[in-house]
Amino acid sequence: MKHTLSYYHRINRRTVLKGFGAAAAGAALPSPSFAATEHLNYMCWEGYDSPAVLDPFKKDHDVEFSVDRITDSPGGFAKLAAGAYRDFDLVSTDLPWVQRMGPAGFCRYLDPAEFAEQYAGFYPQFQAPFEPLMDDGKVTGLPTRWGWVSPSINLDHDTVENWRTYAPVFDSKYKDKICLLDWGEWPIMPLVLHAGIDPWQELDQAALDEVRKVIKAALANTRAIIGDLAIAQRGLLDGSLFGLIGGGTYTTLNMRAQGHLNIVCPVPEPNNGMKQGVIWMEATGLIENGKDSDLAKAFLKHLVKPEVAMNLAFTEATSNLVPTKAAEDLMTPKQREAMLLDYAPTAQERSNFLRIVPNVDDFLAIWGEELAAR
Amino acid sequence: MSTPGNNRRHWELWISVLPFALLLVLFLIGPMVLTPLLTFQETKLYQLRWTWSFDTWSTVLSNPTYSAVLLRTVWTALLSTIVCVVVAYPVAYALNTRLAAWSNQVQILIIFAFLTDAVLKTFGWVLFLDVHGVGNWLLQKLGFGPGATNILFTPKAAMLGIVYNLAPYPIFTIYLSLARIDPDLKHAAYDAGASKLRTFLQITLPLSLPGAIAGALLVFVLSLGTFLESKVLGGGTKPLASELIRQTFETRVNWPLGAALTFSLVLVALAALLGLVMIGSRLRIGAAGRETS
Repeated sequence: MKHTLSYYHRINRRTVLKGFGAAAAGAALPSPSFAATEHLNYMCWEGYDSPAVLDPFKKDHDVEFSVDRITDSPGGFAKLAAGAYRDFDLVSTDLPWVQRMGPAGFCRYLDPAEFAEQYAGFYPQFQAPFEPLMDDGKVTGLPTRWGWVSPSINLDHDTVENWRTYAPVFDSKYKDKICLLDWGEWPIMPLVLHAGIDPWQELDQAALDEVRKVIKAALANTRAIIGDLAIAQRGLLDGSLFGLIGGGTYTTLNMRAQGHLNIVCPVPEPNNGMKQGVIWMEATGLIENGKDSDLAKAFLKHLVKPEVAMNLAFTEATSNLVPTKAAEDLMTPKQREAMLLDYAPTAQERSNFLRIVPNVDDFLAIWGEELAAR
Repeated sequence: MSTPGNNRRHWELWISVLPFALLLVLFLIGPMVLTPLLTFQETKLYQLRWTWSFDTWSTVLSNPTYSAVLLRTVWTALLSTIVCVVVAYPVAYALNTRLAAWSNQVQILIIFAFLTDAVLKTFGWVLFLDVHGVGNWLLQKLGFGPGATNILFTPKAAMLGIVYNLAPYPIFTIYLSLARIDPDLKHAAYDAGASKLRTFLQITLPLSLPGAIAGALLVFVLSLGTFLESKVLGGGTKPLASELIRQTFETRVNWPLGAALTFSLVLVALAALLGLVMIGSRLRIGAAGRETS
């Protein structure tokens, strides 16, 4: 019998139902290749998903990871808050966003006693009770990486002495040599601190007007607002840019780790009664998705092991400090020098610890408005 | 008259278009309806709240920043369109005339550039324009001073990137228009004593206008959505609407404001596009009139 084209295309109720039936039966069949393997859905920044971090855990626990790499902490949080928390087991993001998971209602709180061993391995300032990660007395996550926000400068073109304050950002001698990083509130915080305004207090209109003034003045002296780390670093290395504002260790340490020890990130001295540095921290928290996964807890413990923390400290794209003290013992003298470990106590002394900034949306709106008005 | 056979054919037709119709509703019409609805909501603690209010629109309409960015975006798109067409026309013309023997090879090169990812091309320009880049090195070899191509992180570099990324569109549309012109028309003009310039102005240019207009429309629509070139090559100091929208959605997590800005950009773009189409139609009618006379 000759089958015409129309014969093959003939659709009727019976064939449609047959098709749905077959599809449903197929979906119901277990997939043999994954039957024995558990899954963890993991939202994280770069570095946390590197094979050096994930592979040992995969091997030990016969687990597969589905990773959603974020490039923006608020964006990642918004995704979780919009309902994706049901799908994810863990998140590694900036600390305030882990802490915010508590009030948002999708944080799986940690029992500090269960993580006593991990806390004991941290530097003293990160040990329990670690207030920045607490929500109403409950622990929202563990700290996993940290650094400080300060200007990144190139000693071949500039001196630390010039950056005792953030004045060069506004100095006409530095016109078109300053780069503000396009990283949300990060470049705004140093400017606000330079103006003597405490960004962790709820600000009134007069204070916001001052914030506008300082942002406007900084933008007027700025050559570029760059979001791409590699481009900003290239500009700093070749002398097109003298200062990267809004970065700090994040924009400095990986260049030092590659041998560019002329790149430093000194924290300016207190100005207008305010410490000028900001200690940032990434944390990892468990997500309340109803699964109560022990594997997620085990992975959280895995992340702060010294050898894993070392891999988190030195990633392909960036280098950062880690809270696990024993990781320091695994570093070579060159790595220690690159990581500015000797300077870290001074940096901490001159810095504020990053907390939730109540007026962050006002800051971003002012930034956007002043940028558009240029 | 409906017969059982007709009914079955109708039913089969509906079933066959159903998957596409569902996709269309879910992924095109749904978001288009949702966008204006979102503009009347609020965000609190970075979470969307479905509470109806006009606050977002009053912010957008009362704040000159947003209209400034929208106008800058339209102006950049118009400028890019003009530059792209001006750059593309001689290339397309050469491909039809002097470079006709090499036309295939040149087209392959243009297609290759066209298919290369815009991110890659844009970052490639950074390396080229950098003070230690190839462009600067070449200019210094030619006797220009150090830092001769110090245009990186300026609006000029952003425009260069936009034109480079979008020029292939008008090159191809103009090339096709030129290729369709009957050579006998030009021969007739020469026989009638017209110079090469006059033949070009009165025959070739009017008849290739549809290609130029189609290319211009493509460039205009696409350049309304660009942000990479202005962000990466332009240094981000003159943000365009797409970047503002991205920042509003991602960094500020203010979806209602992002939706309102998106909706405003679509409206402004539609108005500008309508204007361009009307100008294009008039030019075409003029060209058609000359062709028939």
